[in-house]
Amino acid sequence: MGWLQGGVTEEDRLDLTATGAVLARTARLAAPYRRLGIRAFFLLVAWTGTILAGPFLVRRALDDGIRVGDSGVLFESVVAYLAAALLGYVLYRSAIVTLASVGESFLRDMRIRVFDRLLRQALGFYDRNKSGVLVSRMTSDIDSLSELVQFGLLMFTGALLQLIGTIVALGFLSGRLLLVCLISVPIVALASVKFQRDSNRAYLVVRDRIGLTLSALQEGIAGVRIVQAFGREELEASRFSRTNDSLYRSHMDSVKVAAWYLPIIEMAGTITTAAAIGIGGWWVRSGELSIGTVVAFVLLLQGMFEPVQQLSQLFNLVQSATASLSKLYELIDEPIEVPDPDEPQSLSPAGEIDVSNLSFSYGDGPRVLSNVDLTVGAGERIAFVGPTGAGKSTLAKLIARLYDPSEGSISFDGVDLRSATGRELRDRVLVVPQEGHLFTGTVADNIRIAKPDASDDEVRDALDRIGVLGRIEGFENGLHTEVREGGARLSAGERQLVSLARAALADPAVLVLDEATSSLDPGTELIVEGALEELMTDRTVIAIAHRLSTSQRCDRVAVIDEGGIAEIGTHDDLVAAGGHYAALFDAWQRGQP
Amino acid sequence: MSGQQPSDEPTGSSEPSNERDSIDGSPANSRGRHLLVDALRRQRLGLLMGMGAALGWTAFRVTVPRLIQLGIDRGIRGTDPLWRWSLFIAIAGMFSGIFLGLRRYTAFRNARRVEARTRDRLFAHIQRLHIAYHDVTATGELMSRANTDLQQFQNVVTMVPITTGNALIVVAVAVVMLLTDPVLALLALIGLPLVNLLGKKFSEKLHPAVLAVQKESAELAGVVEETVAGMRVVKGFGAEGVQAEKLVTEADDVYRESIRVSRIRARYLPGIELVPNVGLVIVLAYGGQLVIDDQLTIGQLVGFNLYVLMLIQPLRMLGMVVAQWQRAIAAGDRIAEVLDTAPVIVDPSHPTALPEATRTSPVGRIEFNHVHFGYAGGSGPPVLTDFHLTINAGESVAIVGPTGCGKSTVARLAPRFYDVDDGSILLDGIDLRELERRELRRAISLVFEDTFLFSGTIRENIAFADPDASMDDVRQAATLAGARDFIEDFELGFDTQLGERGLSLSGGQRQRISIARSLLANPRVLILDDATSAVDPTKEHEIRDAMQEVMAKRTTIVIAHRAATISLADRVVVLDEGRIVAEGTHSDLLATNERYREILAASDAGESDDTPVPAGAS
Repeated sequence: MGWLQGGVTEEDRLDLTATGAVLARTARLAAPYRRLGIRAFFLLVAWTGTILAGPFLVRRALDDGIRVGDSGVLFESVVAYLAAALLGYVLYRSAIVTLASVGESFLRDMRIRVFDRLLRQALGFYDRNKSGVLVSRMTSDIDSLSELVQFGLLMFTGALLQLIGTIVALGFLSGRLLLVCLISVPIVALASVKFQRDSNRAYLVVRDRIGLTLSALQEGIAGVRIVQAFGREELEASRFSRTNDSLYRSHMDSVKVAAWYLPIIEMAGTITTAAAIGIGGWWVRSGELSIGTVVAFVLLLQGMFEPVQQLSQLFNLVQSATASLSKLYELIDEPIEVPDPDEPQSLSPAGEIDVSNLSFSYGDGPRVLSNVDLTVGAGERIAFVGPTGAGKSTLAKLIARLYDPSEGSISFDGVDLRSATGRELRDRVLVVPQEGHLFTGTVADNIRIAKPDASDDEVRDALDRIGVLGRIEGFENGLHTEVREGGARLSAGERQLVSLARAALADPAVLVLDEATSSLDPGTELIVEGALEELMTDRTVIAIAHRLSTSQRCDRVAVIDEGGIAEIGTHDDLVAAGGHYAALFDAWQRGQP
Repeated sequence: MSGQQPSDEPTGSSEPSNERDSIDGSPANSRGRHLLVDALRRQRLGLLMGMGAALGWTAFRVTVPRLIQLGIDRGIRGTDPLWRWSLFIAIAGMFSGIFLGLRRYTAFRNARRVEARTRDRLFAHIQRLHIAYHDVTATGELMSRANTDLQQFQNVVTMVPITTGNALIVVAVAVVMLLTDPVLALLALIGLPLVNLLGKKFSEKLHPAVLAVQKESAELAGVVEETVAGMRVVKGFGAEGVQAEKLVTEADDVYRESIRVSRIRARYLPGIELVPNVGLVIVLAYGGQLVIDDQLTIGQLVGFNLYVLMLIQPLRMLGMVVAQWQRAIAAGDRIAEVLDTAPVIVDPSHPTALPEATRTSPVGRIEFNHVHFGYAGGSGPPVLTDFHLTINAGESVAIVGPTGCGKSTVARLAPRFYDVDDGSILLDGIDLRELERRELRRAISLVFEDTFLFSGTIRENIAFADPDASMDDVRQAATLAGARDFIEDFELGFDTQLGERGLSLSGGQRQRISIARSLLANPRVLILDDATSAVDPTKEHEIRDAMQEVMAKRTTIVIAHRAATISLADRVVVLDEGRIVAEGTHSDLLATNERYREILAASDAGESDDTPVPAGAS
């Protein structure tokens, strides 16, 4: 956007106290880089000094050298000026590198810190927070910080130091003349405040309209087949044109804001110079000031108004960066719902799962499960069936400690799940979710997620165990085939196979299986079924069954309804009993071809 | 003088394009240049104003140091009334400011106009481009043409008056200095081209480095997105450590590239500062001596000093302009590439009208006449081979086959999304290529497997084919598609907003709305491409009733997996590897055809859920 450096909405804007708190915390977090930061600051101060030295040396050359015809003094001043310029070069150079290194290190730590915190949050946190918002913390909020670090911080600090330094230097040259020059302060201040406000507002409107235009664009391109199928090409073009035009108008508003401010500041600068020449010159004539002082004054003034406009342009950027920091700190401060114990107990390799008097609700929501008791023996296969929302997935997730119970407890071979570390629990109990989500990387990388140190051979072995090695090795580059983000190149069935292979590789004692509900192409369906059967062998299995063909294959079936276990027993017993399950099974069977 | 780029000027580094930058002089480049020339020609009035403002700005700006010089020599050191020179300086400053404002305003306005107009053109063109083009072009690719590339392109328009102003300043200042004292002028100016050179180098080096940072940041964002989206998988498999490690790698990459950028800044910016400072030192040394020797006045010395300061910014900008120009032309070239692509599926010059229905001859007969077809303009592998099928007016035919057999292609050929490679398709006896597309697509309506709905109300979505349709028509279409009841259950009924900020609908609901959308125009032929796959099996009977109603009255092609849906059709065609392998009624085929039973059994093994999907996303 060029001149629009950022903006912050009213609700995000921090008051002074909050800003102070954010800054104090930032200083604490940046403690490892404190010495480097202090060094960067002093480098900048020294650099500003070399810039301000120029006009003083010109004054000395004029007053003590040129006017009195002393070439020696002129020469001295010239040499000193050159030395100051060279010193400035060195100082500036190292200030850029030092400041960037402080800022970028801080950002790097921040990225890792926030992401670690996100990873430690339990699923409940993700139920409450929209994923888009969480992603934007790590992207747009950190980006606005990095924008500040990359060019704003140096510019802001440099401009601030230069402005203060110039005013001090001017006062040192002549306090009276400085007072005269202050006539431009009200204009500059008013203009800057107005500009800062208007550009903030204009920026927010432009940002909003850009978003609207991009989503209209996206919709038009993604939906082009529908548009053409219904002969809507022209209508859509004119619809888009309206959105695009509103973006243009918001751009023009911001152009108006941007167009007048710089000229006003420049005018103020020239008028101040005029005043310095007029009044300062008068004092020179009356012998109260030297010509060199007035010239130095004029030269210093040339460098004073650029920092002013830089500061007011950067002010919004600094504000929005502070707002972003505050949001990131809030995220870091969110308590962890499923924490690791302080003194963890170790888990035995296998054992009975005991659910005792368990109740659960999501956040402050209604009870999803109440007073559930259930024991699943080692190596037993149990299917949870029941209507959507009755709590079967919730119970399974509690057993995997994706959530902690509101009341009651769940134990694995007598040890409460809350007394074990997450890492150790995951070695025993794995959840195979229904969606075969893929991460960037190769097929092998994807299979390895639950056991990162596994070798390729171990991966192959796992694939072989579930009978799909041939299928995966049939890919272009076999195990090392890249799966693009989202796994566009693998079919739904292949993604499920990868998901099963992950579990096979990790080889857990307990498997919580969230059965897929989406349909697969015919060939793959059979392979997935086969792989699943292999995977379930010799393990405790808790299956969230959507197809009753699965429950048929389990040792026991628990019908979960209205937050409790309505029926439990073997498939045959339950069918014979003629209750809930029998009715479900009957309905399901009639739906089959 | 703090050594940063002035933020009022286009930097070009804020919105770089992600594509290959083509180098000046390649033939493709002339397209971008042509687009630019064309855009500038349309803006000539604004451009003239901008140039005029630049000229005025230069004139007054160059006057100021001269006035300061005269003020010192004649006012302070002479006998002229001081207030007069003060006033002159102030007035020149005022006018310089006014022209500066005008120059900025016109420059930015021109650029934004070009941007808006080109984006409109691009969008309209993209809407008209044939489907085969869209098949091979990613949405993101076109998005960046109309977004980041366009941003770069408009930069160049801003640059025209600004560069003119900068060039004028440089020339004017040089002339004034040379006229005052040629030797001192040469000494002062001799190093300054270095500023230009360094500015150019800086811009050239900075751009790829900034792109690298953006690339790494995007990769980091990718890790965050995939992790948050797949949090259930991460938690379920305990993959937190794996993802955390990935992020550390990406964060390190971003750090490394960012530090590289700051090294480039450190290498060039202090140098760009130093060169003019050396110029100032030279002015002071040699000029000071001249003053001592009475060959120069103090005012002139100060004037020289101010002129050198005045040149820094314009010279730097002129250095950066070259690199920006190249990038903008490259971006313009990519935009022109889209605009120059001609749509392949076009209306015939003398279209034939479809025959009207009469009582004796109903309409809606569609014939596939020995059709051969492959994607990528026939150069891809054959998808349909000698596909021959006639569907009579009012008849309903189900096309069944395994994934990849070509059944969806049949659905896409009928509304002429693609032209056949060989053979022909006739609607009521007329070759599709002889029909106006608009008429054809009103006559043959396709309900896609992918139920894309647009942001807007439900009513607007149903009335998509005909925005002027009456509420009665919309309601009737919704009733036919079995969508009316659930729509009217919404608080706002047909005025319910869909899309990003609107209501989330279930797959089945979306499907029924998209069927209603197709029915609104009362097409002669309705094609349902896997249209019921997203409907919850337990609710399928509702839509089945609706479909029965719909199919009874018009020619229908159904592409389906589920036996229940297929059995509604009068006739079933089994397609395998682009050829028809069997034909008959559902019950006949079920009884006699092994392959048919296989296909059906496989399809019915899976069921579909009814997960809500936000409308508009697909």
